[in-house]
Amino acid sequence: MLTPGERERYDRQIMIREIGQEGQEKLKRSRVAIAGAGGLGSPIAIYLTAAGIGMIRMIDHEQVALSNLNRQILHWEEDIGRKKIDSARAKLRNLNRAVEIETIAETITEGNVSQLVDGCDVIVDAMDNLPTRYILNRCAIEKKVPFFHGAVNGFEGRAMTILPGKTACLRCMYRGPVPQEKFPVIGVAPAVIGSIQATEVIKYLVGIGKLLTNRLLIYDGLKVTFSEFTVNKNPDCDHCGSPLTPSLSPAGERGG
Amino acid sequence: MPVKIHIHATHRQFTNGLEVVAVEGNTVGECLNQLIKQFPGMEKALFAKKDKLLNIVEAYINHVSAYPNELVKPVKDGDEIHLIIMLAGG
Repeated sequence: MLTPGERERYDRQIMIREIGQEGQEKLKRSRVAIAGAGGLGSPIAIYLTAAGIGMIRMIDHEQVALSNLNRQILHWEEDIGRKKIDSARAKLRNLNRAVEIETIAETITEGNVSQLVDGCDVIVDAMDNLPTRYILNRCAIEKKVPFFHGAVNGFEGRAMTILPGKTACLRCMYRGPVPQEKFPVIGVAPAVIGSIQATEVIKYLVGIGKLLTNRLLIYDGLKVTFSEFTVNKNPDCDHCGSPLTPSLSPAGERGG
Repeated sequence: MPVKIHIHATHRQFTNGLEVVAVEGNTVGECLNQLIKQFPGMEKALFAKKDKLLNIVEAYINHVSAYPNELVKPVKDGDEIHLIIMLAGG
C-alpha cells in the first residue's frame, strides 16, 4: 500500500500506464544491491532512490578522491577522504528518506560476495574492473538473481541484462584475463549507461517493457549512436553453462 | 559487395580515420588479414599473436556475436563485421 505522501511523490510515474499504483508498490517492495558507488553507481543509486525502491544496498570499499569528482556525482568536494558509502548514504537519504539505504564498505571477493548481496532481488554492476564483475556474475548465476551489467570507457558505454538460467551471462563471451588499467572517462558516459541500467532494473521489478537480454547495447557518445548486438548463451560457459538442458534435467535438479 | 569491417573508435588511428573498411574474404579471419594488409597497424590492435585475438576484442557478424572461434566463422559478400572492445570502466 502506498501512503498519501508516496502517491504524491510518485504521481508522475504512477501516471505511466505500464507502472501504475501496482508497479509502484512492486518497486517499494524491492531490494536492490548496487556493487559500486562510483561513476555508474552514482546515477544508478540516484534514479532508483528517486523511483522509490524499497531498499538499496551500496557496496564500495573506497574513499572519495578528487579525481572521482568529474563523474561520481554522489560525491562532492566536502566528501574528499570520506568513505564513498557514507557519502552516498547521506545524499540518498536527503533525496528520499523513505528508501532504506544499507551500506557495506568491503571489497567484493569470491569469499564474501554471496553474503554481501544476500536477500536482494537484483544485483547491479557498477564496478570498475572485470575480475570483480565476473565474481558478481557467478554469484548472480548461482543465486539465480538478475544481474544488470554496465561498463564505460571515454565517451563509450555498454549495457546488458542477465537473467540466470535463461539468457547469456557476462561470462558467456569470456576470452581470458585482460590487463587492468586506469581508464579514461567523462561523467556523461556513466550518466547514460547508469540511467539505462536503472531503467532495466525498474522494468524488471515492475515486469514491463523489453529487457536487454541477449542484447548488448553499445553507446557511442561522440557520435550519439546506440548499436545493438545479439549475444548468445554459451553452453560451455564456465559460469552458466550446463551439460543438460533444463527440460531434460531430472526433477528437482538445478540446471546450469 | 565486399565485406564491411566496422572499426572501433580507438583503432581508427590505424586506418587513417576510416570507420568502415571494405575487404574480401570467406571467413572473419581472412577478412581481418585483408584489413591488416591495408592497415598494418591493426595487427597489434587486434591480435595477441597469430590467429589469436586480444582478449578485449569482440567480433560480431551482422550484429550477432561470432564468439567462440570468431576467426573461422564464415562471411559472405555484403556481410558486416563489427570489431568492438570490451569495456571495464565504471
